[in-house]
Amino acid sequence: MKIRGEALAILGLAGASLTFWLGMSWAPSVSIDAFKAPDAQRIFYWHVPSAWAAMIAFGMLFVGSLVWFFKRSEWAWRLHVASSEAGLATGLMCVWSGCIWGAAEWGVPWDWTDIRLNTFAILTLLSLYLVLGRRSQPDGIETRDTFSAFGMYGFVLVPVTYIATRLWQIRHPGPVVATSEGSLNSDMGTVLLIGAISFTVLIIGHVMAGMRLTKLEMHLEDLQSRFEEESR
Amino acid sequence: MSGQTYLIAAYLGMIGALSLWTWTVFARSKTLEAKIASLEKALGKEESE
Repeated sequence: MKIRGEALAILGLAGASLTFWLGMSWAPSVSIDAFKAPDAQRIFYWHVPSAWAAMIAFGMLFVGSLVWFFKRSEWAWRLHVASSEAGLATGLMCVWSGCIWGAAEWGVPWDWTDIRLNTFAILTLLSLYLVLGRRSQPDGIETRDTFSAFGMYGFVLVPVTYIATRLWQIRHPGPVVATSEGSLNSDMGTVLLIGAISFTVLIIGHVMAGMRLTKLEMHLEDLQSRFEEESR
Repeated sequence: MSGQTYLIAAYLGMIGALSLWTWTVFARSKTLEAKIASLEKALGKEESE
């Protein structure tokens, strides 16, 4: 059976909607002593999975960029294109949900001194540059090489973003999972896990669908040039 | 607007954005397939002529 990316994306979207419902109605509330805005904390069930999905997309962007740069493989370029779009969408979602939480909890949506916030924002801006740049530049080896170089070097920010709150905790909360200091309630952990699985399925579905779309676009360009040549 | 209502509005906005993104993938795919089919048909006709 051939699994279409679109089907996976819809499955992931359904899981993300379930996460929203569970996060709002089933997950326990946090202590009013620990949080200034306990209601807003529930955005965590989307914020963390969207950050996770963005990191997967940036990882795929790195692989696509690297393989294109050294092997000139067409599938790798399609992976680069699809994962930059997926990274942009999930990165924006993570930044947006973080700003909403920050406005409620900290009283400000952004902190320009926080390493985690700023490195993640730069990663999202990098994917915006790749998406917009590809649409405004003619396709060719030089263009692909330039964008791939950005995709490869930009990946340096992924591990920096991951360790940022472990090394320099400024405003963004520290890790609550995959750490010895974690203290996440088991029901909260279940909702977060459902969210993480759903966003993983969503991002894989979107990258698969995006790769197929890029293939169709290339095929269409090829047919159009053949049609123009034959019409002369 | 209470905190809970504000949060639901924010969540629904994000679900809407994700749905729109998924829908545009479907729409782009359908449009491209239709264009490819019509061009292939046109090219096939020219070749047979």
